[in-house]
Amino acid sequence: MRRRAGVGAIQRQKIQQDKFKEKGSEIQENQLEQMTLQMEKFRENLEEFATKHKNEIKKNPQFRKQFQEMCASIGVDPLASGKGFWCEMLGVGDFYYELGVQMLELCVATSYRNGGVILLEEVLRRLNQRRRPDNQISSDDVVRAVKKLRVLGSGMEVVATGSSQFIYSIPGELSMDHTTLLQQAETVGHMTVCSAASSLGWTQERVGRTLDHLLRVGIAWRDDQDRPASFWFPAFFQQCTTAE
Amino acid sequence: MAEFEWPWQYSFPPFFTLQPNADVRRTQLDSWCALVVSWGKSNSVSQIDVTEASSLPVFKNNAISRALPVDGIKVVLDELAKRGNLEWTDKTRRRGYLLWRSPSEWGQQIYSWAQSTSRINNVCTLYEINQGDESADQEFHGLDGDILLKALKTLEVTGKAELMDFGDNQGIKFL
Repeated sequence: MRRRAGVGAIQRQKIQQDKFKEKGSEIQENQLEQMTLQMEKFRENLEEFATKHKNEIKKNPQFRKQFQEMCASIGVDPLASGKGFWCEMLGVGDFYYELGVQMLELCVATSYRNGGVILLEEVLRRLNQRRRPDNQISSDDVVRAVKKLRVLGSGMEVVATGSSQFIYSIPGELSMDHTTLLQQAETVGHMTVCSAASSLGWTQERVGRTLDHLLRVGIAWRDDQDRPASFWFPAFFQQCTTAE
Repeated sequence: MAEFEWPWQYSFPPFFTLQPNADVRRTQLDSWCALVVSWGKSNSVSQIDVTEASSLPVFKNNAISRALPVDGIKVVLDELAKRGNLEWTDKTRRRGYLLWRSPSEWGQQIYSWAQSTSRINNVCTLYEINQGDESADQEFHGLDGDILLKALKTLEVTGKAELMDFGDNQGIKFL
């Protein structure tokens, strides 16, 4: 009789344990379901918000930026795919795609004179000139558009200098030395091999080598009527950047 | 006549140094040719003499103390000749006609004017064409005599006009 009771106890215990486990996973499942429902709700709210404020997003650069950051914080990227709600309903993807194309056109059109380096400020000014006043873009938009284009292998890159940013769009990457020299160029406008060597703490040979490449692609021009010869950069020459 | 608007390159010191890299130089020469042609048109310059060219304002910018050196000027003029915008007067290549329009373009303009001023089947002097009151509003007004003759010859070749000699004067009959 006792043995039977023993087995029974174990069996009862097992049944109880199973019941607890079931309950446990039931609880977990519940929680998961809850969470999923909440996320769904949140996404729906976000989509509703986006639809309601679609025009605002398209027209107001500041609002657009904050919206993007909000999306990023919950792991949503409205620009990621060409399909789906975000792209179709909002047209946000199109917005940056179109902007990217306009930027590429601008870079190609001006590269004959600046060698493929253009100040972000100049891009902004020229593109906004062509856009309606209620449809202006910000530097944040430009940077995002470049990032999107890079994913497509456009070869465009945003480089920061001390005070501002420039975009380069030439085939072949610029090395650290090239960009460092360009950052210096943006500050001083023009330089000699000596002045650059002393400002950057480089050997003259290193400056010369770096300048050679920039001369070859037309980013730098040499002025032999200066003593000693100096080097100038159309991309940072005021009259060039404001010319028609 | 409105003040000539200098392009940004004109204020850019290195523009007056021929750039070493071939691709960049090609861009530079494009800019130089466009500048010389538009400057010439704006200032009614019809001839350029190589020996005097260095003093022309188009080839030197005193504001930035830069001037295109003589061999640079020669390269630009050669390039203009290649593009049909300059015609050397002789083999020495010391002087050339600056043609911001080709002779046949001038010819066509003059013929249109002749049509609109009822000069067809009439004779008129060359003076009337480039100096007369009736052409004062035309682009070819004040056109250099030699270039005018070239233009009219293109009309002769296409049977639209017949050049005539009246001793001292030269005339043309539009057909």
